[in-house]
Amino acid sequence: MKIEIKDLSFRYSKKSPRVLENLSYIFEGGNIYFLEGKNGVGKTTLGKIIMGLLKPTSGYIYFDGEDSSKIKPADRAKKIGYMFQNPALQLFAPTVFDELAFPFEIMGTMDENIKDNIQKALKKFNLYEAKDRSPLTMSYGEMQRLALAGISLRNVDFLILDEPSSALDEEGRNFLISYLEDFSRNGGGVILFSHDEDTLSKINGVIELVLDNGSIK
Amino acid sequence: MKRDPRVKLIYILLLTTLAILAKDVIYISAIVLVTIIVNICLGTNILRAIKRISFYVSFIVFITLVQSLTVKGGTPLIYIGSFVFVSTTGIIFALEFLLRMLVIILSGIIATSTDGREMADGMQKMGVPYEFVFMSGIALRFFPIFSDEFRARLNAITMRGINIKKLPFRKKIRLYGYLMSPTISGCVLRSEQLSISVEARGFRALQHRTMYRELKMGLYDWLFLAVGIVFGAGFLFVNYYIGSFISIL
Ligand SMILES: Nc1ncnc2c1ncn2[C@@H]1O[C@H](COP(=O)(O)OP(=O)(O)OP(=O)(O)O)[C@@H](O)[C@H]1O
Ligand SMILES: [Mg+2]
Repeated sequence: MKIEIKDLSFRYSKKSPRVLENLSYIFEGGNIYFLEGKNGVGKTTLGKIIMGLLKPTSGYIYFDGEDSSKIKPADRAKKIGYMFQNPALQLFAPTVFDELAFPFEIMGTMDENIKDNIQKALKKFNLYEAKDRSPLTMSYGEMQRLALAGISLRNVDFLILDEPSSALDEEGRNFLISYLEDFSRNGGGVILFSHDEDTLSKINGVIELVLDNGSIK
Repeated sequence: MKRDPRVKLIYILLLTTLAILAKDVIYISAIVLVTIIVNICLGTNILRAIKRISFYVSFIVFITLVQSLTVKGGTPLIYIGSFVFVSTTGIIFALEFLLRMLVIILSGIIATSTDGREMADGMQKMGVPYEFVFMSGIALRFFPIFSDEFRARLNAITMRGINIKKLPFRKKIRLYGYLMSPTISGCVLRSEQLSISVEARGFRALQHRTMYRELKMGLYDWLFLAVGIVFGAGFLFVNYYIGSFISIL
């Protein structure tokens, strides 16, 4: 999948300054992009615009050449897995297991196969022991693992992760890195918004980008 | 137009009280109109505020519909045989409810268009105990927190590829119920943090608290107040002595 951003500008309201200004860039599948930038420079904003949670003030985003302005956020999320900067706001279910199962149950697509995948994901993301716990009382690092586990259950072509390693320990980071490298090796694209230089230095073939003054350098 | 917060508070009290005392739809409509005029005079951005709370507005419209369908009496308007779906009483009931809620919302907009601390100052200068002022300030600020938390969770669901609008009604209800508990516990968590930080900053450590801001009623404030009081008195007089227009008609 290819995400093409063209002349994108954004501001939160008419009175506030532009956060993004004439930003153009093409993100392609098979790559891991590491997008850094100072606090408040607009990383989270850019992620939300790509996901359709915020509408661009002007400019376009194309998914594989298709203008995205008519594509609903939920439909974007079917192709792009998005992880919030604040993992606590991303979780909504009473237990860790439900957190993973609920989307399939509400959509009526739950089957044996998916149940099996959920069990596997619980083990893979080191959440099996916690499966009956409430996500709300988990630590931030555990929440981040759970959020990623939720995304991993769906076949997405792209990942947009907003500071996914901010609360992870060494082990958690290494796991994340190998997960992302696998994902991109299989043709998936990854955009990481992060300040975490340690993670940056460990990812093979990462493309480093800087968001500054409203656009990507 | 910048008015003293005390004047605004009195207007809010006045308008909401009148809306409750008002005898029929015509009186309540008059209050709605006046509330809109007051909003305009105070220069609040009604449209933007309504957009921000559109979630609650749709909820109120929903209740209104339910009321018009469930309250029976008066002349049946839509019916099959002896079974009445919609009657005049139902419609009037629903309309009264809707208009009263509108007054409350519009008055709320007056309150929220004022800086929270200024509002608190105003209340305190009117003799309301400080603890109460502080609590109501926090309570007011909790509304946006609550809707933020709720919206964030709706977004979280959307970001799992679920189109909430397309879900069948039954599932939608289930989903909203599902979201209530994390939203509420999210709010409780935040309030716990808040009380810790309030304590840590020495809330009520000193007997008296001095205020940096000074409030002074200007000429226009008194004028505004006078107009409000005259209107309120006149309204109540007509409301009680002439009574319901609907029964006259
Ligand atoms: N809802 C909002 N309304 C108004 N301004 C906002 C809103 N959200 C963010 N901003 C502003 O937009 C700018 C960009 O914010 P954003 O959250 O995208 O930054 P960021 O690069 O993700 O920062 P961080 O590294 O701290 O996560 C900031 O100046 C912020 O204050
Ligand atoms: Mg951010």
